[in-house]
Amino acid sequence: MMKLMEITFPLGREIMTTIRLMTGGLCSLYGLGLDDSEDCKVCVTESLLLLMHGGCREARVRFSDEDGLRIVLEGEGGTEGEKTMEEEISVALLRALVEDLNMEKDGRITRIGFGFRAR
Amino acid sequence: MEERELFAQYRETHDRALRNEIVGKYLDVAAMIARKFTGRGVEYDDLFQVASLALMKGVDRFDETKGVKFSTFITPTIAGEIKNYFRDRSRLIHLPRRVAEIRAQIRSAADEIFSRTGKSPSAREIAETLHVSEEDVLSAMEAGGVVSLDRPLSGEEETNYYDLLPAPDDAFEKIEERDVIRRAMQSLNETEREIVDLRYIKELSQTETAKRMNVSQMYISRMERKILEKLREKLKKSMTE
Repeated sequence: MMKLMEITFPLGREIMTTIRLMTGGLCSLYGLGLDDSEDCKVCVTESLLLLMHGGCREARVRFSDEDGLRIVLEGEGGTEGEKTMEEEISVALLRALVEDLNMEKDGRITRIGFGFRAR
Repeated sequence: MEERELFAQYRETHDRALRNEIVGKYLDVAAMIARKFTGRGVEYDDLFQVASLALMKGVDRFDETKGVKFSTFITPTIAGEIKNYFRDRSRLIHLPRRVAEIRAQIRSAADEIFSRTGKSPSAREIAETLHVSEEDVLSAMEAGGVVSLDRPLSGEEETNYYDLLPAPDDAFEKIEERDVIRRAMQSLNETEREIVDLRYIKELSQTETAKRMNVSQMYISRMERKILEKLREKLKKSMTE
Protein backbone atom coordinates (compact mmCIF):
# COMPACT_ATOMS: atom_id res chain seq x y z
CA MET A 1 0.00 0.00 0.00
CA MET A 2 1.41 3.39 -0.95
CA LYS A 3 -0.02 6.45 0.72
CA LEU A 4 -0.70 9.16 -1.85
CA MET A 5 -2.17 11.86 0.30
CA GLU A 6 -3.66 12.38 3.72
CA ILE A 7 -5.50 15.42 4.92
CA THR A 8 -7.15 16.33 8.21
CA PHE A 9 -9.68 19.13 8.28
CA PRO A 10 -12.58 20.50 10.33
CA LEU A 11 -15.85 19.00 9.11
CA GLY A 12 -18.31 21.40 7.54
CA ARG A 13 -20.34 21.78 4.37
CA GLU A 14 -18.06 24.59 3.18
CA ILE A 15 -15.10 22.22 2.86
CA MET A 16 -16.96 19.68 0.67
CA THR A 17 -16.13 21.32 -2.68
CA THR A 18 -12.43 21.44 -1.82
CA ILE A 19 -12.38 17.77 -0.89
CA ARG A 20 -14.43 16.88 -3.97
CA LEU A 21 -11.99 18.76 -6.22
CA MET A 22 -9.06 17.02 -4.58
CA THR A 23 -10.79 13.66 -5.03
CA GLY A 24 -11.49 14.46 -8.68
CA GLY A 25 -7.83 15.35 -9.19
CA LEU A 26 -6.62 12.08 -7.71
CA CYS A 27 -9.18 10.08 -9.70
CA SER A 28 -7.81 11.74 -12.81
CA LEU A 29 -4.25 10.92 -11.73
CA TYR A 30 -5.38 7.31 -11.43
CA GLY A 31 -6.89 7.26 -14.90
CA LEU A 32 -10.47 6.83 -13.70
CA GLY A 33 -13.16 7.70 -16.25
CA LEU A 34 -15.47 10.68 -15.76
CA ASP A 35 -18.38 8.56 -14.54
CA ASP A 36 -16.27 6.70 -11.99
CA SER A 37 -14.66 9.96 -10.86
CA GLU A 38 -18.09 11.49 -10.28
CA ASP A 39 -19.24 8.37 -8.41
CA CYS A 40 -16.10 8.51 -6.29
CA LYS A 41 -16.80 12.16 -5.42
CA VAL A 42 -20.37 11.26 -4.43
CA CYS A 43 -19.00 8.51 -2.15
CA VAL A 44 -16.52 10.87 -0.50
CA THR A 45 -19.25 13.48 0.04
CA GLU A 46 -21.68 10.92 1.47
CA SER A 47 -19.01 9.54 3.81
CA LEU A 48 -18.18 13.00 5.08
CA LEU A 49 -21.89 13.73 5.57
CA LEU A 50 -22.21 10.51 7.58
CA LEU A 51 -19.29 11.51 9.80
CA MET A 52 -20.70 14.99 10.17
CA HIS A 53 -24.21 13.78 11.04
CA GLY A 54 -22.63 11.33 13.46
CA GLY A 55 -21.21 14.26 15.40
CA CYS A 56 -17.58 14.21 14.25
CA ARG A 57 -16.07 17.66 14.18
CA GLU A 58 -12.93 16.72 12.31
CA ALA A 59 -12.23 14.25 9.55
CA ARG A 60 -9.17 12.64 8.04
CA VAL A 61 -9.14 11.42 4.45
CA ARG A 62 -6.43 9.10 3.28
CA PHE A 63 -5.94 8.30 -0.40
CA SER A 64 -3.70 5.34 -1.12
CA ASP A 65 -2.59 3.14 -3.95
CA GLU A 66 -3.97 -0.27 -3.12
CA ASP A 67 -4.96 -2.20 -6.22
CA GLY A 68 -6.50 1.03 -7.54
CA LEU A 69 -7.39 4.14 -5.63
CA ARG A 70 -8.40 3.37 -2.04
CA ILE A 71 -10.03 6.03 0.09
CA VAL A 72 -10.45 5.85 3.85
CA LEU A 73 -12.32 8.53 5.77
CA GLU A 74 -12.12 8.72 9.54
CA GLY A 75 -13.76 10.82 12.17
CA GLU A 76 -13.41 10.89 15.92
CA GLY A 77 -15.95 11.51 18.60
CA GLY A 78 -19.10 10.61 16.74
CA THR A 79 -22.16 9.59 18.68
CA GLU A 80 -23.98 6.27 18.43
CA GLY A 81 -27.69 6.24 17.90
CA GLU A 82 -30.54 5.60 15.53
CA LYS A 83 -29.74 6.69 11.99
CA THR A 84 -31.85 9.39 10.37
CA MET A 85 -33.40 8.74 6.97
CA GLU A 86 -30.76 10.97 5.38
CA GLU A 87 -27.99 8.84 6.90
CA GLU A 88 -29.69 5.64 5.77
CA ILE A 89 -29.85 7.00 2.26
CA SER A 90 -26.16 7.91 2.38
CA VAL A 91 -25.25 4.37 3.44
CA ALA A 92 -27.52 2.80 0.81
CA LEU A 93 -26.04 5.08 -1.85
CA LEU A 94 -22.50 4.13 -0.85
CA ARG A 95 -23.43 0.45 -1.07
CA ALA A 96 -24.95 1.05 -4.50
CA LEU A 97 -21.90 2.83 -5.88
CA VAL A 98 -19.02 0.72 -4.51
CA GLU A 99 -18.60 -3.01 -4.10
CA ASP A 100 -16.01 -3.08 -1.34
CA LEU A 101 -17.48 -0.67 1.16
CA ASN A 102 -16.05 -1.07 4.64
CA MET A 103 -17.69 0.75 7.55
CA GLU A 104 -16.43 0.21 11.07
CA LYS A 105 -16.37 1.70 14.52
CA ASP A 106 -13.11 1.32 16.41
CA GLY A 107 -13.49 2.82 19.87
CA ARG A 108 -14.25 6.47 19.25
CA ILE A 109 -13.14 6.30 15.62
CA THR A 110 -15.65 5.85 12.80
CA ARG A 111 -14.02 4.62 9.61
CA ILE A 112 -15.43 4.36 6.09
CA GLY A 113 -13.33 2.90 3.30
CA PHE A 114 -13.83 2.00 -0.36
CA GLY A 115 -11.87 1.68 -3.58
CA PHE A 116 -12.11 2.59 -7.25
CA ARG A 117 -10.18 1.01 -10.08
CA ALA A 118 -9.54 2.33 -13.59
CA ARG A 119 -11.47 0.30 -16.18
CA MET B 1 -50.53 4.96 8.72
CA GLU B 2 -47.22 3.14 9.38
CA GLU B 3 -44.91 2.40 6.44
CA ARG B 4 -45.37 -1.39 6.66
CA GLU B 5 -49.12 -1.07 6.97
CA LEU B 6 -49.31 1.26 3.99
CA PHE B 7 -47.33 -1.08 1.76
CA ALA B 8 -49.22 -4.16 2.97
CA GLN B 9 -52.50 -2.49 2.18
CA TYR B 10 -51.28 -1.39 -1.24
CA ARG B 11 -50.05 -4.90 -2.04
CA GLU B 12 -53.48 -6.24 -1.19
CA THR B 13 -55.64 -3.66 -2.91
CA HIS B 14 -53.40 -2.20 -5.68
CA ASP B 15 -55.30 0.99 -5.01
CA ARG B 16 -53.82 3.77 -7.13
CA ALA B 17 -54.65 6.40 -4.51
CA LEU B 18 -52.58 4.47 -1.98
CA ARG B 19 -49.68 4.23 -4.40
CA ASN B 20 -49.84 7.97 -4.98
CA GLU B 21 -49.83 8.54 -1.24
CA ILE B 22 -46.66 6.44 -0.87
CA VAL B 23 -44.99 8.15 -3.82
CA GLY B 24 -45.90 11.56 -2.40
CA LYS B 25 -44.42 10.55 0.94
CA TYR B 26 -41.09 9.58 -0.60
CA LEU B 27 -40.78 12.24 -3.28
CA ASP B 28 -38.33 14.11 -1.03
CA VAL B 29 -36.09 11.06 -1.07
CA ALA B 30 -36.16 11.03 -4.89
CA ALA B 31 -35.27 14.74 -4.89
CA MET B 32 -32.46 14.21 -2.39
CA ILE B 33 -30.87 11.43 -4.43
CA ALA B 34 -31.31 13.32 -7.73
CA ARG B 35 -29.47 16.30 -6.19
CA LYS B 36 -26.51 14.09 -5.36
CA PHE B 37 -26.03 13.35 -9.07
CA THR B 38 -26.08 16.93 -10.32
CA GLY B 39 -22.96 18.47 -11.84
CA ARG B 40 -22.58 15.83 -14.56
CA GLY B 41 -24.04 17.82 -17.43
CA VAL B 42 -27.68 16.84 -16.89
CA GLU B 43 -30.23 19.28 -15.50
CA TYR B 44 -31.59 18.60 -12.02
CA ASP B 45 -35.19 18.58 -13.30
CA ASP B 46 -34.40 15.71 -15.66
CA LEU B 47 -32.71 13.78 -12.88
CA PHE B 48 -35.65 14.39 -10.57
CA GLN B 49 -38.02 13.06 -13.22
CA VAL B 50 -35.95 9.89 -13.63
CA ALA B 51 -35.76 9.50 -9.85
CA SER B 52 -39.54 9.95 -9.50
CA LEU B 53 -40.25 7.29 -12.14
CA ALA B 54 -37.84 4.91 -10.40
CA LEU B 55 -39.67 5.64 -7.16
CA MET B 56 -43.03 4.72 -8.72
CA LYS B 57 -41.64 1.46 -10.11
CA GLY B 58 -39.97 0.76 -6.77
CA VAL B 59 -43.26 1.06 -4.87
CA ASP B 60 -44.66 -1.81 -6.96
CA ARG B 61 -41.59 -3.98 -6.42
CA PHE B 62 -41.09 -3.40 -2.69
CA ASP B 63 -41.84 -6.27 -0.33
CA GLU B 64 -42.35 -4.93 3.18
CA THR B 65 -42.24 -8.44 4.68
CA LYS B 66 -38.50 -8.75 3.99
CA GLY B 67 -37.63 -6.44 6.87
CA VAL B 68 -35.88 -3.76 4.84
CA LYS B 69 -36.88 -0.13 5.13
CA PHE B 70 -38.29 1.37 1.93
CA SER B 71 -35.72 4.21 1.92
CA THR B 72 -32.90 1.63 2.01
CA PHE B 73 -34.55 -0.39 -0.75
CA ILE B 74 -35.35 2.53 -3.04
CA THR B 75 -31.98 4.35 -2.87
CA PRO B 76 -29.98 1.87 -5.03
CA THR B 77 -32.98 1.53 -7.37
CA ILE B 78 -33.09 5.28 -7.98
CA ALA B 79 -29.28 5.54 -8.20
CA GLY B 80 -29.26 2.69 -10.73
CA GLU B 81 -31.93 4.34 -12.90
CA ILE B 82 -30.07 7.66 -12.81
CA LYS B 83 -26.83 5.97 -13.82
CA ASN B 84 -28.61 4.19 -16.67
CA TYR B 85 -30.01 7.53 -17.75
CA PHE B 86 -26.50 9.02 -17.78
CA ARG B 87 -25.34 6.15 -19.93
CA ASP B 88 -28.21 6.35 -22.40
CA ARG B 89 -29.15 9.97 -22.63
CA SER B 90 -26.64 12.43 -21.20
CA ARG B 91 -24.65 12.62 -24.41
CA LEU B 92 -27.67 14.15 -26.14
CA ILE B 93 -28.30 16.85 -23.55
CA HIS B 94 -26.68 20.26 -23.54
CA LEU B 95 -26.66 22.95 -20.88
CA PRO B 96 -27.33 26.60 -21.70
CA ARG B 97 -24.23 28.16 -23.20
CA ARG B 98 -23.71 30.97 -20.74
CA VAL B 99 -24.14 28.71 -17.74
CA ALA B 100 -21.38 26.30 -18.54
CA GLU B 101 -19.50 26.86 -21.75
CA ILE B 102 -16.58 24.74 -20.80
CA ARG B 103 -18.85 22.00 -19.54
CA ALA B 104 -20.38 21.74 -23.00
CA GLN B 105 -16.90 21.48 -24.46
CA ILE B 106 -16.08 18.78 -21.93
CA ARG B 107 -19.18 16.83 -22.91
CA SER B 108 -18.45 16.97 -26.63
CA ALA B 109 -14.79 16.06 -26.05
CA ALA B 110 -15.93 13.18 -23.83
CA ASP B 111 -18.31 12.01 -26.59
CA GLU B 112 -15.55 12.20 -29.15
CA ILE B 113 -13.09 10.24 -27.00
CA PHE B 114 -15.80 7.77 -26.02
CA SER B 115 -16.70 7.06 -29.65
CA ARG B 116 -13.00 6.65 -30.48
CA THR B 117 -11.91 4.49 -27.54
CA GLY B 118 -15.17 3.01 -26.27
CA LYS B 119 -14.47 4.01 -22.66
CA SER B 120 -15.32 6.92 -20.43
CA PRO B 121 -12.39 9.36 -20.69
CA SER B 122 -10.36 10.73 -17.80
CA ALA B 123 -10.10 14.46 -17.08
CA ARG B 124 -6.53 14.41 -18.38
CA GLU B 125 -7.59 13.01 -21.76
CA ILE B 126 -10.30 15.66 -22.04
CA ALA B 127 -7.88 18.42 -21.06
CA GLU B 128 -5.47 17.29 -23.78
CA THR B 129 -8.24 17.24 -26.37
CA LEU B 130 -9.47 20.73 -25.44
CA HIS B 131 -5.96 22.17 -24.97
CA VAL B 132 -6.84 23.38 -21.49
CA SER B 133 -5.38 22.47 -18.13
CA GLU B 134 -6.57 19.42 -16.25
CA GLU B 135 -7.50 21.69 -13.37
CA ASP B 136 -9.75 23.74 -15.67
CA VAL B 137 -11.61 20.59 -16.64
CA LEU B 138 -11.98 19.50 -13.02
CA SER B 139 -13.05 22.94 -11.86
CA ALA B 140 -15.59 23.27 -14.66
CA MET B 141 -17.05 19.89 -13.77
CA GLU B 142 -17.37 21.00 -10.18
CA ALA B 143 -18.64 24.50 -10.91
CA GLY B 144 -21.66 23.31 -12.87
CA GLY B 145 -23.49 21.98 -9.85
CA VAL B 146 -26.66 23.44 -8.47
CA VAL B 147 -26.09 26.21 -5.93
CA SER B 148 -28.44 27.55 -3.35
CA LEU B 149 -29.71 31.05 -4.03
CA ASP B 150 -28.93 31.86 -0.43
CA ARG B 151 -25.29 30.93 -0.85
CA PRO B 152 -23.08 34.01 -0.49
CA LEU B 153 -21.04 35.13 -3.47
CA SER B 154 -17.37 34.33 -2.99
CA GLY B 155 -15.78 36.95 -0.79
CA GLU B 156 -19.10 38.78 -0.36
CA GLU B 157 -20.69 37.95 2.95
CA GLU B 158 -23.67 40.24 2.44
CA THR B 159 -24.47 39.43 -1.18
CA ASN B 160 -25.94 36.13 -2.30
CA TYR B 161 -26.91 34.64 -5.67
CA TYR B 162 -30.53 35.63 -5.08
CA ASP B 163 -29.47 39.29 -5.15
CA LEU B 164 -28.26 38.81 -8.71
CA LEU B 165 -31.63 37.68 -10.03
CA PRO B 166 -33.29 40.30 -12.20
CA ALA B 167 -36.32 42.02 -10.74
CA PRO B 168 -39.58 41.98 -12.76
CA ASP B 169 -39.43 44.14 -15.87
CA ASP B 170 -39.64 47.84 -15.30
CA ALA B 171 -38.96 50.21 -18.20
CA PHE B 172 -37.52 53.01 -16.06
CA GLU B 173 -35.28 50.64 -14.19
CA LYS B 174 -34.07 49.20 -17.48
CA ILE B 175 -33.09 52.63 -18.80
CA GLU B 176 -31.24 53.36 -15.57
CA GLU B 177 -29.51 49.99 -15.67
CA ARG B 178 -28.40 50.54 -19.24
CA ASP B 179 -26.97 53.90 -18.28
CA VAL B 180 -25.07 52.40 -15.33
CA ILE B 181 -23.72 49.61 -17.55
CA ARG B 182 -22.73 52.11 -20.29
CA ARG B 183 -20.79 54.14 -17.72
CA ALA B 184 -19.17 51.03 -16.28
CA MET B 185 -18.13 49.94 -19.79
CA GLN B 186 -16.34 53.26 -20.24
CA SER B 187 -13.93 52.21 -17.51
CA LEU B 188 -12.68 49.38 -19.73
CA ASN B 189 -9.84 49.78 -22.21
CA GLU B 190 -10.15 48.93 -25.90
CA THR B 191 -8.98 45.31 -25.59
CA GLU B 192 -11.31 44.67 -22.67
CA ARG B 193 -14.25 46.17 -24.57
CA GLU B 194 -13.44 43.96 -27.56
CA ILE B 195 -13.51 40.89 -25.31
CA VAL B 196 -16.90 41.92 -23.87
CA ASP B 197 -18.20 42.46 -27.39
CA LEU B 198 -17.04 39.08 -28.68
CA ARG B 199 -17.99 37.11 -25.57
CA TYR B 200 -21.26 38.72 -24.49
CA ILE B 201 -22.67 40.48 -27.56
CA LYS B 202 -21.56 38.09 -30.28
CA GLU B 203 -21.70 35.19 -27.79
CA LEU B 204 -18.50 33.53 -28.98
CA SER B 205 -16.82 30.88 -26.86
CA GLN B 206 -13.54 31.64 -25.08
CA THR B 207 -11.68 29.56 -27.66
CA GLU B 208 -13.35 31.33 -30.60
CA THR B 209 -12.67 34.72 -29.00
CA ALA B 210 -9.03 33.77 -28.48
CA LYS B 211 -8.69 32.76 -32.14
CA ARG B 212 -10.20 36.05 -33.35
CA MET B 213 -7.83 38.06 -31.15
CA ASN B 214 -4.86 35.85 -31.85
CA VAL B 215 -4.23 35.10 -28.17
CA SER B 216 -4.54 31.99 -25.98
CA GLN B 217 -7.81 30.81 -24.43
CA MET B 218 -6.15 31.09 -20.99
CA TYR B 219 -5.52 34.78 -21.66
CA ILE B 220 -9.20 35.35 -22.48
CA SER B 221 -10.21 33.44 -19.36
CA ARG B 222 -7.93 35.58 -17.18
CA MET B 223 -9.03 38.81 -18.86
CA GLU B 224 -12.67 37.89 -18.47
CA ARG B 225 -12.25 37.44 -14.74
CA LYS B 226 -10.43 40.77 -14.55
CA ILE B 227 -13.14 42.55 -16.58
CA LEU B 228 -15.97 41.12 -14.50
CA GLU B 229 -14.18 42.16 -11.34
CA LYS B 230 -13.67 45.66 -12.72
CA LEU B 231 -17.31 45.96 -13.79
CA ARG B 232 -18.54 44.63 -10.48
CA GLU B 233 -16.48 47.21 -8.59
CA LYS B 234 -17.75 49.97 -10.83
CA LEU B 235 -21.38 48.86 -10.54
CA LYS B 236 -21.11 48.53 -6.78
CA LYS B 237 -19.77 52.06 -6.60
CA SER B 238 -22.60 53.37 -8.82
CA MET B 239 -25.20 51.74 -6.59
CA THR B 240 -23.87 53.32 -3.43
CA GLU B 241 -23.54 56.76 -5.00
